[in-house]
Amino acid sequence: MASIPIEAEGLERHFGAVRAVNGVDLAVQQGEIFGLLGPNGAGKSTVVRMLTTLLTPTGGTARVAGFDVVRQAPLVRRAIGVALQDAAIDPLMTGRELLHLQSVLHGIGARQARQRRDELLERVGLTAAAGRRVGTYSGGMRRRLDLALSLIHEPTVLFLDEPTTGLDPTSRLALWEEVRRLNDHGTTILLTTQYLEEADALAGRIAIVDQGVIVREGRPGALKAEVGSPTLRLEVEDGQEETAARVLSRFGEARLGGEGGVAIGLAGGAGQLAEVIRALDGEQVRVLHVELDEPSLDDVFAEATGRRLEGATDGPTTPPRSAAGDGPAGSNHDGVNQLGDGREGDGHEGDGPDDGDRHHGHGRGGRRRR
Amino acid sequence: MTAAVEPWAGPQVPPATPWWPATRALAWRSLVGLARNPAAWVPGLAFPLFFAAVNTAALDRSTGLPGFPEVDSFLTFLLPATLLQGVMLSATTAGNDVAIDLQDGFFDRLLASPIPRVALLLGRLAGAAVYSAILAVLFTTVLVAFGASVAAGPAGLAVIVLTAGLFGTGVGAFSMAVGFRTGSVERVNAFFPIFFTFVFLSSAFFPPQLAGGWFEVVARVNPFSWMINGLRHQVIVGWEWAGAVLAVGVAGCIAALMVGLAAMALRARLRR
Repeated sequence: MASIPIEAEGLERHFGAVRAVNGVDLAVQQGEIFGLLGPNGAGKSTVVRMLTTLLTPTGGTARVAGFDVVRQAPLVRRAIGVALQDAAIDPLMTGRELLHLQSVLHGIGARQARQRRDELLERVGLTAAAGRRVGTYSGGMRRRLDLALSLIHEPTVLFLDEPTTGLDPTSRLALWEEVRRLNDHGTTILLTTQYLEEADALAGRIAIVDQGVIVREGRPGALKAEVGSPTLRLEVEDGQEETAARVLSRFGEARLGGEGGVAIGLAGGAGQLAEVIRALDGEQVRVLHVELDEPSLDDVFAEATGRRLEGATDGPTTPPRSAAGDGPAGSNHDGVNQLGDGREGDGHEGDGPDDGDRHHGHGRGGRRRR
Repeated sequence: MTAAVEPWAGPQVPPATPWWPATRALAWRSLVGLARNPAAWVPGLAFPLFFAAVNTAALDRSTGLPGFPEVDSFLTFLLPATLLQGVMLSATTAGNDVAIDLQDGFFDRLLASPIPRVALLLGRLAGAAVYSAILAVLFTTVLVAFGASVAAGPAGLAVIVLTAGLFGTGVGAFSMAVGFRTGSVERVNAFFPIFFTFVFLSSAFFPPQLAGGWFEVVARVNPFSWMINGLRHQVIVGWEWAGAVLAVGVAGCIAALMVGLAAMALRARLRR
């Protein structure tokens, strides 16, 4: 019996001459949210399809919930929950009917199925819409139902393949919350995503996948730390730029600061921010705005592959984490409220790569895209 | 973000789902889907009845030809053909639905669930069989209301219903085989006229002995003619075991052959 819920060794899948997955090693621990991050076509979904027994590996081995995905596929299916890339839901059936069907397919008794169905509908906020045909659901509702369907049998291992692709920011945020809640209850989760912020916000560990191989693996913070120091940008009162630059030079090398601003690479990391502010205060420099840009996962991806993650988004929904010495935190803590102001889209098109790691001070900026 | 790591207790695996509840649930889904999609069932109801009306109007006087089976109405002669047309038009939905499930990913959801693979096949087929049987009752009722008759009475109706159910299973299985192989609704529909060809080359619409020539030869060796003749005997003459066995037997053979074909196609799909 395996000691970890998801493990793969040298996993390969070839489609003719195309090596979609080319030797992936994975080890996902109990209670972990593990993210596979990569662009479209990187091989993430193929890995998930092999781990969920939907695709036979060309090479290598994998065990899920302690069972070999090839030789013990039926046992794997009984232990896992799966929500695949496209919320595959029969539009002619109602949400309630689909949950009933799913419970029968998982061999759940009628009384328990009813109880579980109602509980899940409540949890994903679809109780009122449960009697409506799924064809009338919005994309977010479908995704939430998809998640509920994958949870009907209370799986210990859950696979989510791009769970928020196509969702509006509010729905994305709601789904993130649900994923976190599941994880809090001990469910081991492997999710794939092409959204940098999603991986950053949800996953305890991530593997960056590109062209069928894992190019980096580790905790998001550690991966970013490997790339370099965060950039601190300040806006100060007119005429104080030189003083500010002089003070800042004690904490790191100067970087491009933008109009009316000064910037440094904060060599000591975000923890040094309070010290910087105190130093500026000591020199009577009046700080108007503070912004701390951590190295992003996109930087990690770029460093590993020489390319940026195209189409990636900073995912507007994560409540910004205020930097030390910040202004009123409440002003920027409502990622949801910001969504309605027209500044944020869902990141599908035309988004430049972003890191999702901006920390803003003084509550004035809100989250932005580069 | 990540819960505290605890020693894993090992897999906690629920028992496997038996094939019967899974099959029943999938058959139910198939019927519910059909009922809610008029585009799938209206043609199967409307066109056969329309053709029956047109053919009866055009050919009713042919019942007086020497050698034509003795019937009060051409509708009586046409009842088996009308029924088979309806079944063919409707049961193909099984293959279309399989292709749609494959295209939109619902099939993956089914594959990822712990059900015996045979339920994937039997669920849809059971749906096709049940709907075909319902059609048989419906068509017989409508045609009888317009002057047709079933000489063998309830026993004859039972043979009609059973034959329709088995034939619907065969047509459904064939369309599913194409669906599993191709995953394309268009291709399922492209293959669908094959069954119509067999019906048109049979005794369905006119007695072959009156047509003569190559048509008579082809129609006499066409198993569809045997099935239709078996049904027609129950409808026109009255109860006869041989006719009943012939109709049910041919429909059963078609069903068995096509279910085998669909099972092979499913297996091939699962090996991908």
